Amino acid sequence: MKEYILLMVSAALVNNVILARFLGLCSFMGVTTRIDTAVGMGMATTFVITVSSMADWVVEAALLEPYHLGYLRTVTFILVIAAAVQFTEMIIRKVSPPLFQMLGIYLPLITTNCAVLGVALLLVEGRMSFISSTLFAFSSSIGYSLVMVIFAGLRERLTLANIPRLFAGPPIGFIVASLLALAFMGFSGMSAS
Amino acid sequence: MGEAVDNSTDFSAPAMVEGIAHVVEVDDAVAWLVPEQTTSCGSCASASACGAKGIGTTASRLEARRFQLVNDIGLRVGERVVVGIRENALLKASITAYVIPLATLLLAGALAQWTAGSDVVTMVAMFAGLVFGLWLARIGAGRLLLRGDLAPRFLRRASAGEMCNLE
Repeated sequence: MKEYILLMVSAALVNNVILARFLGLCSFMGVTTRIDTAVGMGMATTFVITVSSMADWVVEAALLEPYHLGYLRTVTFILVIAAAVQFTEMIIRKVSPPLFQMLGIYLPLITTNCAVLGVALLLVEGRMSFISSTLFAFSSSIGYSLVMVIFAGLRERLTLANIPRLFAGPPIGFIVASLLALAFMGFSGMSAS
Repeated sequence: MGEAVDNSTDFSAPAMVEGIAHVVEVDDAVAWLVPEQTTSCGSCASASACGAKGIGTTASRLEARRFQLVNDIGLRVGERVVVGIRENALLKASITAYVIPLATLLLAGALAQWTAGSDVVTMVAMFAGLVFGLWLARIGAGRLLLRGDLAPRFLRRASAGEMCNLE
């Protein structure tokens, strides 16, 4: 049990997908102008990362590793991610058309989110069991969502601040992101003992 | 009397997420609308290589998101209007669509791993959990729909050149 908790804390906070591994930076800067859109994007990404990582693990264990097709890994994973996104979109559309109308905009954006592919490739590097890889993927995406929401909250507050024209917009966004990354570096001191 | 009230600083007012939509059809008292493609997507520097465009055409994607409004304000075909949903409606919808299926998936997986300890059993249990979660999400979405939480509301007619998401 302890190893699972450590794995989750490590994936979500210590090795945060955005601030430590620098993945998903496009959505980090692009979809964080409002908290509600950041939450929507975060939840959708969490779902897709978890489901696609499970599928990627199965493909890796059943196909790529036994047949020594490691050189096809990146292409295969991209295909699996695109299929997972389409599957999610199809299911939501079938289960509830109104939900699809409201949330459908986020899903295609996730296909091109490098955090999804990055997490899948990290799973292969880690050589984890199925449940560990699922928990790792879930925790990584929780870390991604957490940072998205915190950053969106900071940016919403920045709109009320009196910022010099030179720094207004993306420059102050990057400065805030760097301060947030520094704050998250504090987690790197956490150890199992 | 009749003066416009500036509620931009009224933080007690429910915050709305706004978007612009085109009226594409008017049928008696109901108007059908299609959301406008946001500029952030269409004019993006990576637009030509964007994966979001490759999955079906933009027109087909927008058509799939067609919705209706009660036309008690005399909307006509071709008009641009600003519609909105409550901020917490987006949160509720996200929780219903993503968090519920994910929670049941992980719960079923954890239970299977704890009791059986086999990867294959865990996979089957997670799939069953996902299906169960989607069924719960369907029920939850039905309730939200009945309460009217998922329905966009007409806010105003869009002025010429008005865009959404330009903050």
